[in-house]
Amino acid sequence: MATTFKTLNSANDVASTRTLLHEAIPLTGTIASGTYSDANIKTYSHGMFESVYDYPYLSSSANHIFDITTGYASNSSLSSSASVQNSKKLNIYSQMAQVLVGYDATGSIQSFDRDGDIADGGDKINEAIFVNFSRLLTKDEMKKGSFTMSVLTAGATTAPSTIMTIADHGAADSYKVNSPAGEYGILYTGSSPIVAGTGVGLIYYQAGVAVLTGSVFAASQLGNGALVDTGFSAMATGSNIEMMADSFRNRLQNISFNNTVELNSTVYFCRASHNEFNYSNNPTYLSDSQIRVKNSTTDNPVSYVTTVGLYSSDNELLAVAKLSEPLKKDPSTEVTLRVRLDF
Amino acid sequence: MAFLDNSGDIILDAVLTDTGRMRLAKGDGSFKIAKFALGDDEINYELYDKNHSSGSAYYDIEIVQSPVLEAFTNNTSTLKSKLVTISRTNLLYLPQIVNNATVGLASHPTNNILTVLVDQTTVDDTAISGISSAYINGYRMVDTKSPIVMDQGIKSNAIGDGSSVVLDADLTETQYMIEIDNRFGNIWDGAGSSQTTPSFIDDDNVATYYLSTSTNKTYFGKSGTSMSGEVMQGPRGTRLQFLVGPSVDLNSSTYLFTQLGSTATLGAAVYQIDTTVRITGVTTGYRVDLPIRFVKKQ
Repeated sequence: MATTFKTLNSANDVASTRTLLHEAIPLTGTIASGTYSDANIKTYSHGMFESVYDYPYLSSSANHIFDITTGYASNSSLSSSASVQNSKKLNIYSQMAQVLVGYDATGSIQSFDRDGDIADGGDKINEAIFVNFSRLLTKDEMKKGSFTMSVLTAGATTAPSTIMTIADHGAADSYKVNSPAGEYGILYTGSSPIVAGTGVGLIYYQAGVAVLTGSVFAASQLGNGALVDTGFSAMATGSNIEMMADSFRNRLQNISFNNTVELNSTVYFCRASHNEFNYSNNPTYLSDSQIRVKNSTTDNPVSYVTTVGLYSSDNELLAVAKLSEPLKKDPSTEVTLRVRLDF
Repeated sequence: MAFLDNSGDIILDAVLTDTGRMRLAKGDGSFKIAKFALGDDEINYELYDKNHSSGSAYYDIEIVQSPVLEAFTNNTSTLKSKLVTISRTNLLYLPQIVNNATVGLASHPTNNILTVLVDQTTVDDTAISGISSAYINGYRMVDTKSPIVMDQGIKSNAIGDGSSVVLDADLTETQYMIEIDNRFGNIWDGAGSSQTTPSFIDDDNVATYYLSTSTNKTYFGKSGTSMSGEVMQGPRGTRLQFLVGPSVDLNSSTYLFTQLGSTATLGAAVYQIDTTVRITGVTTGYRVDLPIRFVKKQ
C-alpha cells in the first residue's frame, strides 16, 4: 500500500526535554540618567512610580526595561502625615510587601526582612527603593547569583562618587524560599566573606524585583541636580516619589544580571527506513507517468527531502520543519530527522 | 587519522502552522501530533540529468544545490508534494490523476476554464447559458449536463494496455480528498442530487471532503479495465465524479464577487471569481489543482 504518512510511536519516537536558557542583560546607568535627556523616562499623573525605557518612550521601538518607586512601612520613623505623599509611600510599601513577603498568621502584612529570616524577627527594611524589572528582560526568572548593581552613594549629584557594588553573592547556592512570590536572595556589598545580617536589599528572582534599603544612601546624598542634595531620610519625607526615583536613577551606574527562559521541547524522531519515502508525488517527478529519476525498473528510486510536516490524526498540518539543503533518500539510506518543537 | 562524521541525526527546529496555533489555543486536546510526512516542494526533478557526462555522481548535482525556503506557517501553503512510501523499488511508472474532459465536464469554450453559473438569473439568461452547455448549473445541480471527472491511472501504455491490464492494487486510489474554499463552493455527487458534508473546515476557510469508494459510491464511476472514455492509455485505477456547487453567499449576494472577484462579459455583463479545487489521492498523495470560475450575472 502506498502511503505518504508515517505514524509516530509515542513511546519510541517522541521525547520531551526541559532546557534553561540564559541571556546576559547589561544595563548601563546612563540609559536611566541622560542618554536620551530623560525622553525615555515616563512619569505618571498618579506619581507612584516612573518607568525607564531603552529609547524615547513615544517611539514604537522603545522597550520598557524597569520601573522605580519607593516607599516606607507604617512603623518607619519617616512615616508622618507631614511627609510628602505619605499615604502613597505607605501604599507602595504595603503593596510590594504583601506580594513579595506576604502575611503573618493574623493576616497582617509583613515587612521586608534584612536577612530573610522573617519568623525570627531581626532587622527589617522599613524604607525601601524598589526596582521592578520588565518581564521582557527577566523572562521566566533572573538567574540566581548573577545580579549586580552599582550605585554612586556619595558626593554631590553633579559629581557623584564612591561606587557601591551590590550583588546577590552566594545566592547560586543559598537563597530563600519563604516568599509567596518565589525564591529570593540577599543583596550584599561584599562577598568575602559574606557577613550574615549585613544585607542591603533583597532580589526576587521570579518576580524580577530588587528591593534596596534606603539606608544605603542614609549617610550620603541622594538628591539630583534639580534638588537640594540631601540624604535618603530627608528626601523620603520632603520629596515625592517621582523626585526620589529621579534621584536614584541619576546615581545608578550599572545593573547586570542573567535572565532565564525555561524551554520545554518535544523532540519527534522522524525515522525514514530504507524502504520508506523513496518516491514522490511532486508533479515534476513523473513524465507521462514515468519516474524521471529512473531509466529502468532495476534502478533505485530516489527522492529528496526538504521539509518535515507534523500532522494530527485527521491529517491537519500542525507544524513544519525545513532542512537547510535537500537530503537524498533512496533504498540504500535510512534517515532519522529529529524535529524539535519548543513551547 | 580523521574523525568520523557523527552527524547522522539531523536536528530541525519546527514552527507551528496557523492551524497548529489555533488548536493549541483551543486547549481542548486537539493539538496532538500523531504522524509525519516528508515533503519536497522545492525540488524540480526535471533537473535530474540521467545522461550527465561526468557520471552518476553528477546526475542530481543541480537538485542537491537547490536552495530551500524557510517554513511557511500557512498550513495550506506547504507540503504540497510529499514523499511516498512504496515498499517495492522496481516501479518505473506511477499513476497520475487527470481531469477527463472527454466524458466529463469540459472547460467553457469562452472562459477556457470549468465554469459554475451560480444562480437562477444567470442560468435563465440565455445570452450567458446559451453559449455552451459546458457549465455547472448552480441553480439546479441535477440539470448539469456532465460532472467533473477525474481519472486515475498510468498515462503510458509501456507496461500494458489499460483495457486489459489492471493497475496494481497498492497504487489504486480508494479514497480522495477534495479541498475547496468554503466561502465559494461545496461538493456534490456526480449526478447533482446530493451535497456532501466537509470533514473539516480549517482556519483559512478551506473545506476538506473525504470521499471513499466504499462509502461514497455515487461519487465514483466504473474503474480499472471497465472504465470507458478514458484518457489513460495504461492501467487505470478509479474514476472520481463530482460537481462543485456555489455557496449560499455567492448565490444570494454580490459581496464576495465585489471583494474578491472581477467583472467580465460572458454574453452579458457578469461578476466572476476564480478559485481552485484541489483533488488529492489519499493513497499515493498525487494531487491536481483544478481551476474553476464562479459566474454571476450583474
